[in-house]
This record gives sequence, C-alpha cells and structure tokens, in this order.
Amino acid sequence: MKPILIPLCSLLVILTVEKGVSEESLTDQAPVATGSSPQQSPEAVALQWSSEDAITMTGPHDLHQLVLTSHEGDGKKDVTAIAEFSVEPSGIVTVSPSGLIRVIGNGSATIIAEYAGSLLSRAIKVNQADKQLPISFPNEIVPIFTRHGCNGGGCHGKAEGQNGFKLSLLGYEPQDDHGYLVREGLGRRIFRASPTHSLLLLKASGELPHQGGSRLTRSSDDYKTIVRWIRQGLPYGSAGDSLVTRISVEPRERLTRAKAVQQLRVVAHFSDGSSKDVTRIAQYEANDEEMAIVSDKGLVTMQERTGSTSVMIRFQEHVGVFRATIPLGAPVDNLPSSDNLVDQHIFTKLRTLGLPPSSLSDDSTFLRRATIDIAGRLPTLDETDKFLADTDPEKRTLKIDQLLASTDYADYFAGKWAAILRNKRTSAHHARGSFAFHSWIRNSLHHNVPYNSFVRQFVAASGEVGNNPPVIWYRTVKDSKEQLQDVAQIFLGQRLQCAQCHHHPYEKWSQDDYYGFEAFFSKVGRKPGAQPGEEVIFNKIGVASAKNPRSGRALPPKPLGGTELRLAQHHDPRDSLADWMTNEDNPFFARMLVNRYWKHFFGRGIVDPEDDMRVTNPPTHPELLDALAQGFVESGYDLKGLVRTICNSTTYQLSSNPNAFNLDDRQNYSRFYPRRLPAEILLDGINTVTNAKEKFSGQPQGIRAVQLPDDQFTKESYFLSVFGRPDMNSACECERADDVNLAQALHLVNSTNIRNKLASDNARAALLVKNTEFSDEARISELYRRAFSRAPGPDELNVGIRYLNRKRTPADPSTLSEEAKKKQPSPEALAREPYEDLIWALLNTKEFLFNH
Amino acid sequence: MLTIAAQKGQAFCDGMTRRGFLKIGTLGLGGASLPQILRAESKTQLKPLDHKAVIMIFLAGGPPHQDMWDLKTEAPSEVRGEFNPIKTNVPGVEICELFPQMATMMDKFSIIRSMVGAGGGHDAVQCLTGRKPQGPQPPGGWPSIGSVLSKLSGQTRPGVPSFLGLSPKCKHDQWGDPGQSGFLGPSHAAFSPFRGGGKKDMVLKDISIERLADRKALLNSFDNFRREVDHSGAMEGLDTFTEQAFGVLTSSRLARALDLSAEDPKVIERYGKGTEKLTADGPWKRLDQFLMARRLVEAGARCVTLGFSRWDWHGGNFKRAREDFPLLDQGITALVEDLHNRGLDKDVSVIVWGEFGRTPKINKDAGRDHWPKVSTALLAGGGMNHGQVIGSTTRDGGEANSRPVEFPEVFSTLYHCLGIDARRTTVNDLSGRPRFLVESEHAPISELVG
Repeated sequence: MKPILIPLCSLLVILTVEKGVSEESLTDQAPVATGSSPQQSPEAVALQWSSEDAITMTGPHDLHQLVLTSHEGDGKKDVTAIAEFSVEPSGIVTVSPSGLIRVIGNGSATIIAEYAGSLLSRAIKVNQADKQLPISFPNEIVPIFTRHGCNGGGCHGKAEGQNGFKLSLLGYEPQDDHGYLVREGLGRRIFRASPTHSLLLLKASGELPHQGGSRLTRSSDDYKTIVRWIRQGLPYGSAGDSLVTRISVEPRERLTRAKAVQQLRVVAHFSDGSSKDVTRIAQYEANDEEMAIVSDKGLVTMQERTGSTSVMIRFQEHVGVFRATIPLGAPVDNLPSSDNLVDQHIFTKLRTLGLPPSSLSDDSTFLRRATIDIAGRLPTLDETDKFLADTDPEKRTLKIDQLLASTDYADYFAGKWAAILRNKRTSAHHARGSFAFHSWIRNSLHHNVPYNSFVRQFVAASGEVGNNPPVIWYRTVKDSKEQLQDVAQIFLGQRLQCAQCHHHPYEKWSQDDYYGFEAFFSKVGRKPGAQPGEEVIFNKIGVASAKNPRSGRALPPKPLGGTELRLAQHHDPRDSLADWMTNEDNPFFARMLVNRYWKHFFGRGIVDPEDDMRVTNPPTHPELLDALAQGFVESGYDLKGLVRTICNSTTYQLSSNPNAFNLDDRQNYSRFYPRRLPAEILLDGINTVTNAKEKFSGQPQGIRAVQLPDDQFTKESYFLSVFGRPDMNSACECERADDVNLAQALHLVNSTNIRNKLASDNARAALLVKNTEFSDEARISELYRRAFSRAPGPDELNVGIRYLNRKRTPADPSTLSEEAKKKQPSPEALAREPYEDLIWALLNTKEFLFNH
Repeated sequence: MLTIAAQKGQAFCDGMTRRGFLKIGTLGLGGASLPQILRAESKTQLKPLDHKAVIMIFLAGGPPHQDMWDLKTEAPSEVRGEFNPIKTNVPGVEICELFPQMATMMDKFSIIRSMVGAGGGHDAVQCLTGRKPQGPQPPGGWPSIGSVLSKLSGQTRPGVPSFLGLSPKCKHDQWGDPGQSGFLGPSHAAFSPFRGGGKKDMVLKDISIERLADRKALLNSFDNFRREVDHSGAMEGLDTFTEQAFGVLTSSRLARALDLSAEDPKVIERYGKGTEKLTADGPWKRLDQFLMARRLVEAGARCVTLGFSRWDWHGGNFKRAREDFPLLDQGITALVEDLHNRGLDKDVSVIVWGEFGRTPKINKDAGRDHWPKVSTALLAGGGMNHGQVIGSTTRDGGEANSRPVEFPEVFSTLYHCLGIDARRTTVNDLSGRPRFLVESEHAPISELVG
C-alpha cells in the first residue's frame, strides 16, 4: 500500500447511505449517492462498504473482514481484493490485501480504500489492544474444530469418535467438548507447561502421525488461538457469558458474473446485543461446486454456469446462506407477454440473467407432454388426430381441463401419493387395506378435495380401514419416529431424521424440535381390528409427550418453529398438528406442495431435492415459490387449479430444443428438460402402441400399470421392476429410479415379453396388415401418431417404406441353400414381420422412451 | 458408412440439420467390424487387470466348519466327526483330508476360524452386506458390496456390468440372492444372467441375428432425437446401453466372458464341470462358474457372487461332505491357482463362506444343526498375507476362544483390498443420510492387510 501524502481533510469522503447492514436484492440495481471530493475523477465509480457502522475492535486478536463493493453502471462488483487499503495514522491497525483488519495498538484511525480513482473511508477504533482477553471456549475454540473438519461425521464427530478421541458433532455440545479435551484421559491431550507440545496440537498440525493429516499449520491464527487458550488455563467462559443468537452474512445475495469473486463477511450476534466478526472462524460449504466454490476465508469464486447458487455458512449451531446469481448476458427479446403467474416470475429472471428461452413447443409435443404429465398415459390415436386438426386458439387450455376432469388424472396422481404414503401390501390379507387406501386417495383427487382437508383426514386418521382407509398408513409406518419423519418430509419438506441424535447439521432444528414433533404422535393407540392384519387406530387418553434422550426431558407437542402446546388429555394431538399444518400462515405446508407439483411437471423442484426445503438449500426462484404457495392457499388449496396454473404457462409449454445459449441451463426453465418416462407409463404406452394388455393377479384384464394400487404388483412384472417402479419403502419420490441401465436396454431389445407384444396375432402389426385398405404410408403414419402423437416426416416415411419393401420381397430361391429355403418365412409372416420390426424400432427410440 | 439424406431446410443455429449428422454404422460396436474387434481384444487377453475385484462364493445353508478347515481332533467322539486332518504346505496348519489340493497350496489361502456374530437366519444378507438382516434396517435395505462398488466406482468399461450374480433362482429364494442393491436403487442391482428376466433377456431368441441387425439399422435411422437436448445424460446413457445390449446379444465382452468355449480346454478341465442340477432347494454345483467368475473379472466386472451347493446338512453330514468337499476343493483351488498364474492374485480377492457354522454335537441323523455362534471363512488373493490361520475355537469347535472376527471386519478387509477405506466412505440412503460402508469399530483385519 502506497502511503497517501494528501492532507487528512480531503480524504474524508463519507458516503451518505443509511447506517446498518445494507441488504441488496437482485432487483436493486440503482447506484447509491456519493459524497464528492476534488480528488475524484469524472468517471469514478461509487464505492460502498458492506456495512456502514464505525468499526470497533477489542483486544489484540480481534479480526474484521472488510467487504467493498463498487457500483459500476451495469451492476455491483466486489473489489475487496483489488482495492488498495491504507490506514491513517499507522500503528493502530493493518489491513491485508484481502481486506482483513488486524490490531496493532489502541486508538482511533481511518481506513481508506482506493479503487479506480474513487476513495472511500471508514472510521475504526481499537481498545484493550494491550490486554489478554479471556477466550470463550464455545465461541472461539469449538468453531476451529468445525471449520477444519475435526468434528464432522467422518471423524471425531461421529458417535464413536475416532481412534479414541471424540468430539460432539459439529460442536453442538461445547460443554462436552471441553470435558473431552481437558479432563478425559487424565488430561493427556493438553500439556499446559508447553502448549505447543500438547497432543491436541501435535496431532492437529501433523507433527505426530495423524490419520486426519495436517489440519492446522503452526503459523495459522487458529493454531495460535488454541495455544493462547491453553496458556490462559483452558477457560470455558463464565456462566454469565452471552450466547450467540444468530449469524448474519454480508452480502446476503449478489447478482454477480461468471468468474467473479465475492468476499463474504460473517457476524455473530449475541444475546447482550454485541456482535463479533467471525469470518475467519466460520465454516463455508458451497452447495454446487460447478457453479461456485468457496475458500475457508470466505472468498466465493463463481464458475461459468448460469443461474443461482448458494454457499452455506455455519457457526456453532447457526447456519446462514449467501446466494449468487450468475447471468449469461445474452439478448432476451423473444419473451411473449403473459399474465400467468409462473411466466411472470420465470421471465423476469430470464431477463435478469440474459438467458433467452427456447421457442414454444409444437402441438404434438404439447399434447404428448401434457397427457403424460397430467393423465399418466400417451394420447390415443383419436385424441392426437382431433387435437392436431383443432383450430380453436384455446385448445391447449381446453385439453388441460379435459385431462384434469378424466379419471386418468386421478389414477396417475393416486399412484404418486400412494408410493410416498407407503401403500404396501406385505401379506395377502393386507389387500383390503391397501386397495381401500389407494381408492380413497384416488377419489379425493378425482373430486378435487381441497388439499388441506385431504391432509387433515390423513394425519388425524382414526378408526379402521372399513370406515376410514387412511388409517392403513399406520400399519406400514409403525413407530412414532417414522411417523413424524414421514409427515415432516412429505408435507413440510423438512428432513428431520438427522435431528434425532443431534442438532441437525444443515438446519436450525435441534433435538428438542425433533422430539417435540414426535410428541404429536405419542398417543396413537392400536387395537386389533375385526379383520386379520388390520388394526383400529385410536387416540389414547393421556398426556402427549416424547422424551429427549439426551436431556431426559419429556417434551409436549411443539410445531416446528412454534411454541409448546398444552393439550387436554382427551385431545388428539394429531388434530392440533393438522390445525397447525393447514393454517394459512404455515411457512412449510403450501410451499412443499407447490414445489412437489412443480417438480412433477418440470423435472426439478424450485427447491431441489423437492422435500429438502432447508434454509441452506435455497430456492432458485424464491418469489415464484412464495407466489405459487400464496395462490394455492388463496384458491382454497385447489390441486387441479395449481395444475392449471402450471400447465397453462408458456414456460411449461416451451420446447426442449435448445437455442444457442440455453443448452446448459439446468435450473432456469428456459426450455423443457426431457426425462425418461416412468415405468408404468412406459409399459402402458408400449401396450397401447402394440395393442397388448397386461395381466395382474386379482385385477381386471386390461388394467393399466398406472392404475395398480400397491407395491406388490411390481413383483409380477419384470418390466416394472427393471424400469424402477418404487417399492414404497420411503417417503421420498426419489425412490423411483428414473435412470437407464443395461438390463432395461436388454429387456426392450430382446425380451420375450416385448416380442410377444409385437408378434401376437392380435398385435398392432397383425392388425395393420389385416386391414388391406390401408396403404403403407397410412400404416406408418398411424404408428407415428400412436407413438409420438405426430405425423412422420417425408424422410421417415421413405425409410419405413424402403424397409418394408425390402423385407417383403422374398429372396430369389435360386440364390438360397436348401437349409435357407426351409427357413424362409410364410407369406403371412412375410407381411407381418417387417411391421413388427418397425414398431420395435419406434418403441426403442429416445423420442418414445422420453417425455420431451 | 451410410449417411441418411437430410431433410433440407431445418437447420439449427449451428448449421446442423436434425438428421444431417446421422450416420449408420455396421453392426457391432462403434463402427469396427466384428473380426476387427475380436482381433483387438484377443491381443489384450493377458494384460494385467486395471481394476480391483472381488469374487464371493456363498456356501448356502451353513457349512460344517469343524469338518472342513477347523478339525477338532481333541474333541470327544460325538463331536469330532469322521474325517481326519492332513498337513498342508504351511507348517502347523491342518485341514480336512478331503481337501488335498488346497493342502498343497495352503500358502495361498487364509482361514478365519473365529467368525462370530452371525444373525442366524438362512439367508445370504450378512455374507453379502456385512449387516444383520435382523433388527431395524434403513428404508430400502442395506446395499451389498457389489452394489456399493457399482455406485462408487461405476463400470470399468462399457458392455460389462460392475456387479454380476451367477446364482440360479433357488427354491429357497434367499440362497440364490446375488446381492441386493438396497437403498442404492435398481441401477446398481446385480446383473443376473442365470435367473429371472436378466437371464432370459441375455440370449438372442425368437429372431435371427440378421433380423436383429435390420432392427438395429432401422432404429438408428429413426432415432433422431438429439441426445444433447437432455443434459442429465439419461439419453446418452440410453444410447450407450442400447448399444451395449446389442453387443451382449451378438458378440461382446460380457457374452464371451460367460461363454467358456473360448477357454483353453485344459483350464476348463482343471476347474471341472460340476452339475447344473439344483441341490434340493439350494444352488447348483457348477464348477464352471468359478471359471466364469475369473473371466468376468478379467472382462471388467468388479464383483461376482455365486452360490455353490447346499450345505444345510441336518442329516447325513459326512455322506454329503464326501460329495461336496472334493468338488469345492477342485473348484476353489483351480480358481486361486488360475488367478496366480495370470498375475491377478493381487487385484482379485476371493472369499468363501456361509451364513453360519454347525453344531459341535452330531445329531441322531449323523448330521449337524445350525450353529450361529461360530463359523469359518476362507480368503485368497487381494494382495493379502496368506498362509495363515486367524483365530481359533474351543476344543469342541463351539465358540471362538481367540481373535473373534465379526462379519463387518471381513468387509472392511475386502474393501481395503479394493482400495476403499470403508470406515471413512459413505453412501447416501433414501433420506439423504450418509451411511458408512462399515462402522468405525471394524478395522480391516491387520493380520491380512497389515
């Protein structure tokens, strides 16, 4: 840093912005007013600190991270690492090139930042620089173990510890950690007479063989802090010490650019109102390293993908998140105007990102896609022909309505819900229950029962199958821990499993939250029902509570993020749970549902995974999620209405063909993301094209796979199991395998199953050939319309006809050997087989196997 | 190579038409003709293995440990059994006289005589996953070692699945278990050419190879959908697997690995044939599958499991032993010898075991009953230290009295030989929770890998 030889007065350029932490939103692009100074050149940029408070540093080891933003015409840029910092007078503090302030001595000073001809200053005061302040073990030592991975679940943080040394997971129990370090093993880990010879440090620095390698270098701040702590006599801190109540991140979000950097600052706020810069002892984790990476000093480096990403910051049990959006910057001038809620939000972001969307899909693509996504099947030949010929400009909207009104919609979505509601039939006499449950779900969907009623009926279900089918869930999900976990995951998008044994590593949920939620299910009673294999579910009289095994406290029911409930003994706590869940202010309920349905139609949740809606896994389009949730609540939890909103949007109807810019887009919905057809739809689709029917035991002939009520039917069909129909063992839709593998390919290419569908006497090939009125062109066209809902192009017709002609010409007998002559097909076969081949080929194309 | 005439005028921005870049190759992999491929591959037959693998031979039913490799000569007559021990080429180690071939190469094997902690059920779960099937399971169930390898390391090369199970479908279903994929899902399931759909789909039937070629060509000309449209890779995966499927059906690494006719007849004879007849409700005694396992591993498989015979001898223990011990002796020594001859012994681990041991006291039917308290395991290859016995049992062979070894320790060891630190490596279950392959208290057996 060059010494600046300018009189002090002219250096005092103070920006006139509000005090406190500035919180930018992505739409806030306006530059801020600057103070003037004769030294500034006309093209000067406007500089801004991440927070405006005067800096106070206490003690010789205090640190403060500066974050300096430059407002330059087209946006904000982090210039912390490239600005020049200087301090007047010297001897108080130093500022490193990365903007980290370290204490030298007591007094007041001014820090001056210079960048691109602009200057900005900040007052700073230092006190107690000559004092050794007592170290707080939970606030200053434990975070060191977290950020260096010592107390993670892979090593010393797991339940058994590692090699005889245990720490609490991620430092959630600092009292225990203090005991482990100071008192365990007769205190062998610390050597007070010579701190650097402590076993703790010798191992951590790798000076003694350490399986975890060298985690701390001797010159690092963290190493020195531990040495100081040992020298101070291993204090814990006093009982009156204030606790950290939350952390804040500066900046919280930023519209940045590819390959840009962003320095973060993390502040811990205490219960006594004070705050401390913990940038250098927080832990940083990037959510998607293909989009952004982060160093242990809180420096985020964007990669080259377009879209939104985030970095999780952890300090003690608090988590925070920084969101970055990286635009592409291409011209976006082809956005149609739309008053659809989805379009408005998606298009706004596409504009911000400069990411032009693909064009609208054609009618064939739309018809096939919507029929698959809403009704779980391919369009029939009739539907295809009618739709393509229809000239009504509203035909797409009408088609969506038509599909929603059909029972096919109810069939398809009933299967979706039955899977995550674990509709299992583990023995023969379970059939009554599993079929009844499926039927109940299907009826609710068909009659469009409001979602809040549906969930209430389900969560608070009592009675037995005959009068109340949803009780069957309690047969499969037997214990209260499973019940609370499933309910939280399916309906609230909260994966509480981790919090059973310790504070949740990625969320704010504590064990008390877990057990408080379990208490809602603590009074579920069971009596044998009238039928074998069935039970009567009832609410037991008594106090609802669940014990936290760690604290030993019996916790009353407590909603997530809410207060404990005091309930009367006869009251069914599940009713209170349903009340809380379906309350319109519940922050999780509606958002989870709209996110789940979003994923159903778009292949990716606004939050993904769709049932993992934690603070550290932020949505790509938070305003859209909120708007959809709010709209859903206001509509009276109308599920069909939600489907209409989604499917009528231009966004849903975009083509999957990429343009020059959006091939790599994975989260901005600038085009449709193709995905493999689910097993049931695939099987049904193959059957409709080939005119085959499935047989499932105990079910009417011709039942479609999508209509199958429970998990056992998968065992009867190798096709369904190899294509990934879920076994309904989990509350997560991810149990369904939608990938591709060799066994599937072999089955499609070569199985007897498929061969029979193609070659039977009633199969499509045979039928087409029997109908001698049709020309080859007409037959091929019919096949294309059945499989793809479109007519074949002239090339495709040519290929098909050439093939047919070639195969139908019997070989010249004079060219054949005797043996070959025997193998020649009959005239009948000669007519049929080429069509079997054609159909086979169409069924194996990606266009058929994928929803695109 | 043919180029299909492009439809004019429908170019995308990069100038390519939808069909313009489509070319039809000849039948076979990637455009090379079949003879060319075979020629190229035959040159690489004896190349050292570029990956690590494990072969697991499951002795279904609980083999009698005290009659095989842990003879209890000091035990009373109602326990001791009919067989005598013989010396092996490792001083101090004696095994049953019915394993003479193994005795001449005991230095290439290790015996664990103190396997404890068996769940006690007639299933292969513990042998395949290291976890007990009793008690709470994660949703979806624990994945077997083959599925874990498939998940962590993927395929070594196209056309050869990472994980194969050669067991047939048995009347007692669990004995034919190739290893389940559990919560890792069906994409990491074992490829089972001898049972269920997998078996049926692998052999070209009902149509001629020419017709298959016609279909493939037809598919290529129809299948125009640009796979780059799908950034998840599933479309590309589909193309790859369809190509592999054709390969499997016509001629490919996998098909040829399973086809023993290409093997040196002397080697085939050394392994022996065994029988394809199922042993009551258990697996068959196909010695040729030991050879198949070696060939599969060479072709690129990471894990091959197979069941051999039925060992649940509640009656006629010694009669059955006289039938099966020599067969096992022949097969396992042929395999281990073969691995050593080909330089594969460091890269390929072999484990032979069953779900539990058998009772010390011989029952009234000259048989032995279930005995989960202790059993024996046999190991070879993997670069481990062989020619040793680990652990020992009491005088009657009923309990481990030194160095008890739990099933997960064996898995920790096998993973170690495969290059994976099982106590530090995790896979995510269906709720997203990371699960260790092996819990941290189960270190690899230091006597074997130290």
